Amino acid sequence: MKSVKDHLMFLLPLLAILISVEFVIVFNRVTQNSEEKLRQSYSILVVSEKVMSPKDFRRIDSHIVSATPIDKKTIAKEIARGMQNAADAEILASLPHFYNLHLDRYLSRPEVEKIRQKLLAAPGIKKVETFGESLRAKYNLFLFLKVIFWSFVGLMSLVSLFLVVKQMEVWQLAHRERMQIMEIFGAPMLLRSGVLFRMGIIDALLATLLVIGIFMVLRYYYAPISGIEILIDRQELLFQTQDGVILAAIALGIVVITVFSVAIRSREERE
Amino acid sequence: MANVITASKLTLAYDGGRKEIIKNASFSVHKGEFVFITGPSGSGKSTLLKALYGALKPKTGTLSVGGLDMGRISRSKLLELRTHLGIVFQDYKLINEWTVEKNVVLPLIIAGYGLDIQQTQAKKLLRHVKLTEQAERFPLELSGGEQQRVGVARALSKNPFLILADEPTGNLDEFSSNVIWDLMENACDQLGSTVVVVTHRIPTIFNIPYRHFIIENRGIYEVR
Repeated sequence: MKSVKDHLMFLLPLLAILISVEFVIVFNRVTQNSEEKLRQSYSILVVSEKVMSPKDFRRIDSHIVSATPIDKKTIAKEIARGMQNAADAEILASLPHFYNLHLDRYLSRPEVEKIRQKLLAAPGIKKVETFGESLRAKYNLFLFLKVIFWSFVGLMSLVSLFLVVKQMEVWQLAHRERMQIMEIFGAPMLLRSGVLFRMGIIDALLATLLVIGIFMVLRYYYAPISGIEILIDRQELLFQTQDGVILAAIALGIVVITVFSVAIRSREERE
Repeated sequence: MANVITASKLTLAYDGGRKEIIKNASFSVHKGEFVFITGPSGSGKSTLLKALYGALKPKTGTLSVGGLDMGRISRSKLLELRTHLGIVFQDYKLINEWTVEKNVVLPLIIAGYGLDIQQTQAKKLLRHVKLTEQAERFPLELSGGEQQRVGVARALSKNPFLILADEPTGNLDEFSSNVIWDLMENACDQLGSTVVVVTHRIPTIFNIPYRHFIIENRGIYEVR
């Protein structure tokens, strides 16, 4: 019973830290993915009197990565709907050139405005339209959630670390005498703290497996029925193999630091 | 004959050197000798023993154990030296969560001996200290005399070149005391270990030659 309690007192805070870490990883992945999606769906429409190449646009601003001409025939057809066939060609001839511009990343409103002004100042460009307002609201919500989330995770990790330190003190009290006797008989630090290492490593692996389990369930069972578009489309955002490696490394790192500090604190001081 | 312990103008002190317990003491102990160190309470007997196993550094002078300078010895060398010592404490210093058998073979565990050797040696030693039946019990289930016999068995388990004992029979019954003195005599006489025993009084019946030092007024003097 005492042994189970000993394990739980270390395992639970470790579990909380690992869950926080995994949440951070997942959240970062989801926000990065969303930012990329926003960037891809965000475009600037340019109306120009003359034919322009992507190079011409890049010369105006380096954030512009591509410029796709919009097929004028479709526009002309739309305009000429219900009119005589001859009107189609006339409309086509009189239409200016339309371009859809894509940017290298999701830019802030002032940055986009700057690009807009540069484009309008360029010879031949008659009109520039940006379509970012609805996306921007989404993006700002993301940023807000990010701040809230980081604050919560930071606090949770701090409390958990505090509990790990407390448990370390309990271990020190429980094992100091044994470790000191072993030291009198010449046992090196690794041997003296062997029991703690074994206990810590078991807890670290258990905590890692539990967190992996939780996130696997989220990935395979929760995501498909979550109703959250991004999670339904990309379930792999919730857990990836390398996450397990990161979690195990962090858990083992905490164990090594904790056990070594107990061992060093219990070391005999030569007077 | 080679010296196992050599002290020259040795001063031992606590409180960062302010409280001197032993001052300018010089003595030596040869290989295979049995030495009793006596003295009144608080004279510094246990302090000297602590210095001999490296828990206390000399303030001044030199103290050499097994050819190693205890004032300059590194932590790793000290741990290595301790694996060749057998130490018996007045308060036993047994690991209460371990069985008697495991306590006895602690020096063998530290030295990395296999389980077979550990078990064979434990059986032999527990027979010598007459605790065969108690092998699977825990120290707190034993009497003081039995616990001290476990402590002596542990000290002898790796055939140490030097045995240091701090009041090994203080407050023990006659039976336990006799078992312990017999074992100490044997370790010195049959196995060739050097034995240094700190005690209030020397046993009345002792079957092998010994030297006797007394600690008095912070000095160490040979009286026999």
